Amino acid sequence: MTVMRVEAAQGLAVCTDDTGAEATVETALVGPVAPGDRVLVHAGVAIAPLRASEAVT
Amino acid sequence: MKFVDEFRDAALGRAVAGEILSLVEPGRHYKVMEVCGGHTHSIYKYGVDDLLPTNVELVHGPGCPVCVIPMGRVDDGIAVAHAEGVIFTCFGDMMRVPGSNGTLLDAKAAGADVRMVYSPLDALRIARENPDREVVFYAIGFETTAPSTALTLKRARAEGVTNFSCMCSHVTIVPPLRALLESPDLRLDGFIGPGHVSTVVGARPFEFIPADYRKPVVISGFEPLDILQSIAMILRQLADGRCEVENQYKRVVPYEGNLRALEVMAEVFELRPHFEWRGLGFISHSGLKLSEAYADLDAERRFSVPGVRVADPKACQCGEVLKGVIKPWECKVFGTACTPERPIGTCMVSSEGACAAYYNFGRFAREREVV
Repeated sequence: MTVMRVEAAQGLAVCTDDTGAEATVETALVGPVAPGDRVLVHAGVAIAPLRASEAVT
Repeated sequence: MKFVDEFRDAALGRAVAGEILSLVEPGRHYKVMEVCGGHTHSIYKYGVDDLLPTNVELVHGPGCPVCVIPMGRVDDGIAVAHAEGVIFTCFGDMMRVPGSNGTLLDAKAAGADVRMVYSPLDALRIARENPDREVVFYAIGFETTAPSTALTLKRARAEGVTNFSCMCSHVTIVPPLRALLESPDLRLDGFIGPGHVSTVVGARPFEFIPADYRKPVVISGFEPLDILQSIAMILRQLADGRCEVENQYKRVVPYEGNLRALEVMAEVFELRPHFEWRGLGFISHSGLKLSEAYADLDAERRFSVPGVRVADPKACQCGEVLKGVIKPWECKVFGTACTPERPIGTCMVSSEGACAAYYNFGRFAREREVV
């Protein structure tokens, strides 16, 4: 999912998936995120950032 | 779509399929197990197995969270769902898993307040909104989902939500793999390692497979090209006489995993001495329960649960399917008495179950072949 908005105080981020559906995601496990970042979300929690540099190798 | 389209490129797929063909020795039969149900789903959805030489066989593993829940645990959930004042929450697939006397959906039809959630955090929200009710979250899943449950319990504690508790059926991936490797039923040549579990646990926990059993492991992404490339990497290891853990899914999986997630799991959970797996029986240190520090949020302590062991239905061969001993279509009830609409066995319930994946996608290719 792509981070749209960060609510840092609550450790949450509003993200959208590729169909445009919005979800509030817990970000405590991936550290600070910024709008535009891509994260792997499982059961409402971001468990890993997606690394573009690794994706193309 | 970024990170997706690149991994569904047909021309690249054909090139990797050609590479696979060049790596196999004629006359040798290769059995490669994909551990994770997500891989099984992708393999059938995209017809990955159709691109493989006939002597490379994919064997479906036990990594579907819903498929491994035994009937007795479903019965325990249903008993709690019927308790006075309870709102029982679980993932959608879990609602359709048959216990000895129906499913959680049947319990809902009979009057229990059973609600589907996408995340344990949704269950916690329901608890906040219903302070006069007891909200129970039925937690299932491997290390991919367990951190989400752990974070939710930490939040419940921090916010002082006391009408929330968790019935924990989380499991860990390594003990069933060791059990499979020890099983005399199965001879495997290598493993497609679980991608999303590995984002949490990393690659290190799988090092025992090459070290103790001399089998290659390649941790893989979920797109068709990921899976093809992982199969090629396994076959290359075999051709070179190597066995090691390799990481094909580097864009998501760091070798050391997600340390924050492992920390939060260690705080909230501890290993059960034994846990029963559907079809696989009791496996030591393979299930998680809430740690002493979180015992007050443990639904199994808050409510009385029957805890009765119930044998799997005789007609259903989920156990053999989960161990990769038989193919879904070799089960007696596959596609007749057992379908995704009316499942008898767990492997037909979840889209990650080998039977459901095969029923939904794979059978058409096979039917063409048979005709």
